[in-house]
Amino acid sequence: MASSLAERRAGRLFVSPTVLTLLVLGAFPLLFILAAAFTDSSLGKPFKEFTGADNLATVLGNADVVASLSRTVGYAVGTTAASVVLGVVVATAVHQAVRSGAVVRTLLLLPLIVPPVVVGTLFKLIFNPAGGLLATVLGFVGIPAPAPLSDPGLALGAVMVADIWEWTPLVFILVFAALLGQDPSITEAARMDGAHGWKLFAAVTLPAIAGTIAAAAFIRLVLALKVFDLVYIMTAGGPGQSTTTTSYLIHQVALKEFDIGRASAITLLLAVVVTLVTLPAAGLAARLRRKEEATA
Amino acid sequence: MSSSRSGQTPRRSVLAGAVLASAALVLSACGSSQASESTPESFEGQELSVLLITSHEGASKWLADEFQKKTGAIIKPTIVPYDEIGSTLALDQQSGANKFDVAAPWYVSIGDLAADDSIKDLTDWIEESDQDTADFIPAIYDPYTLVDGKRYGVPFDGDTHVLFYNKEILERNGFDAPPATWDEYVEQSKTITENESSDGVYGAAVFGQKSPLILGASYANRLAGFGGEFVDAEGKPTINTPEAVAAAENLVESVKYAFPTAAETDFGVGNGAWFDAKVGFIENWTDLGVGSEINDDSKVAGKWGVATLPVGGAQTEARASLVAGFTWVVAENTEKEELAKEFIKWAASSEVNEALLTAEPATGIDPNRQSSLESASYGSSYPALQEANRATLAGTLAWPTGRNANQAAQILTDELAKLLAGQGGSAQETMDRIQSEWERILG
Repeated sequence: MASSLAERRAGRLFVSPTVLTLLVLGAFPLLFILAAAFTDSSLGKPFKEFTGADNLATVLGNADVVASLSRTVGYAVGTTAASVVLGVVVATAVHQAVRSGAVVRTLLLLPLIVPPVVVGTLFKLIFNPAGGLLATVLGFVGIPAPAPLSDPGLALGAVMVADIWEWTPLVFILVFAALLGQDPSITEAARMDGAHGWKLFAAVTLPAIAGTIAAAAFIRLVLALKVFDLVYIMTAGGPGQSTTTTSYLIHQVALKEFDIGRASAITLLLAVVVTLVTLPAAGLAARLRRKEEATA
Repeated sequence: MSSSRSGQTPRRSVLAGAVLASAALVLSACGSSQASESTPESFEGQELSVLLITSHEGASKWLADEFQKKTGAIIKPTIVPYDEIGSTLALDQQSGANKFDVAAPWYVSIGDLAADDSIKDLTDWIEESDQDTADFIPAIYDPYTLVDGKRYGVPFDGDTHVLFYNKEILERNGFDAPPATWDEYVEQSKTITENESSDGVYGAAVFGQKSPLILGASYANRLAGFGGEFVDAEGKPTINTPEAVAAAENLVESVKYAFPTAAETDFGVGNGAWFDAKVGFIENWTDLGVGSEINDDSKVAGKWGVATLPVGGAQTEARASLVAGFTWVVAENTEKEELAKEFIKWAASSEVNEALLTAEPATGIDPNRQSSLESASYGSSYPALQEANRATLAGTLAWPTGRNANQAAQILTDELAKLLAGQGGSAQETMDRIQSEWERILG
């Protein structure tokens, strides 16, 4: 009995650094944001005066803030859908050619290791209407050079293209790993029963990797909801408000306008939106994983 | 502020070299004299951490070398992007890191920095020290230093915009003089773009990227030209007056014929197009002329002219716009206050400013004092720039500088960006929204 108590105490002692670290890293920023959101807080002087829900009322009454939230959700859903579809297609294709795909696999992963600031700069150059890659290629076929990053109707899509290019390899590698982990005898049995091509993929492969795809989609969704770096580099939130995502807006309000209170209130709103958007995705991922494990 | 942001290596001209040598001799004589009079021995070997923006990197090297010669103190510069210097200093002081002793932020930031207790009130020190404050360009001195009756800094980089034009492009398109009005500017720009855009040459580079120092500057130039003000003498916003609306309308028209595309044109893109002889006009800091002559990759050396900014509406006199401008401040929590004050007093002096104006490599510094503006070395090296810079002597347009000035500048920029993108309704509606927001935050 005494020994068991001592063991429990020792166990608690050993995990206490981890718990403390999590508290400091997780709880402190959250408490800071909460406190700042309900006070008059500037960059150099946080928590000057309790202001109740004034900051929340201000940001909710600001059309640009509300528009940035819906824009961010649209951006995240769009890039996630595109990344998942492309990632699954490419992973499946590479899996089919696994014996000759070592170089291809390495090349496909390259965007993942390129720093976002480089990705942003790269695509800014590609989309440059004065001699960029896109303008040059289209020029060969006589199409006038577009200016995607300056066109309010195209700018967000142009940033999405860069984002999809950067993060699709993450989906690819996760799905590819899941494909490699499949029991080959099941696929072989399905083939012997006459399943081939799309029918084999839809009936056998997809259910087997659905949990992984859902998990990859969840991760991708969270990454896209936080997008900042590409917007900062490629458009600075413009033209107009066309690419001002909520993360970019928070940065602007906090560090350009020195208003930590309002930035924290927007952060809380973003947290609510992220929770609402990701909860169904997380639930779906968990359910599919359980189903996948039960089948295995 | 430097307009030569691409790091070009200078090409020394014989004339500039001779002038520089003369200036160096004069300066070294002054420096020796000052050093023998006032340099405290205790500064020898001390380090001073100085926060500066990217375009002042060249100046920081010059200042570090010369100040060490003068006092023995070692300047440790930290360089950050121009739009991050205020927040970097505020966070440094608020967090208790206290890494920086001195900084040179955009003058619009000093109200917010003072309200946050990030910078020291220098009123008494300025009054008691022998700084010849009457020599600072009057139109610059107050906006760069004064908040609610207290002085928080001393001017460093004058930074007014003027209009540069490419003589060859104007001649090719039948113009024998630069535009005197903003309407003429649009007309000439339109003609050039229509005639030569197929060859990659456009009427103007218009800084339109969504940043107060970029898009805000383009608007401020027009607001000055049309005779408008950001705020009145009591600090009340006046941003939806007919002059302010006319300035916004002209900006919209200017962008239509600009180097593609204005929304993506920051300093690097705009200046690159200018040096590459791809644009007829560019509104820029006076030091662009220095870079145009001495930068290795400049294709406009000897082919450019400079004029005061155009005017518009009822305004007939040329008027300067203090679009950027940087001021020396002392960090609130510095433990080296005496050395910090000694440094900024020296760095804001007439002798130093005069030397920085003509130094090679170009330092990106514009006149902050009447004596340096009228100096023989500046006049003989860059007479056209000297003449254009005289517009700063009176009646200039300055940004608001009190508390929430940063937010005000950002609101203006966001709304102008929406106007240019077709998301903000008419110019009048845009300026009305800005007026309403400014009244809320500036009073």
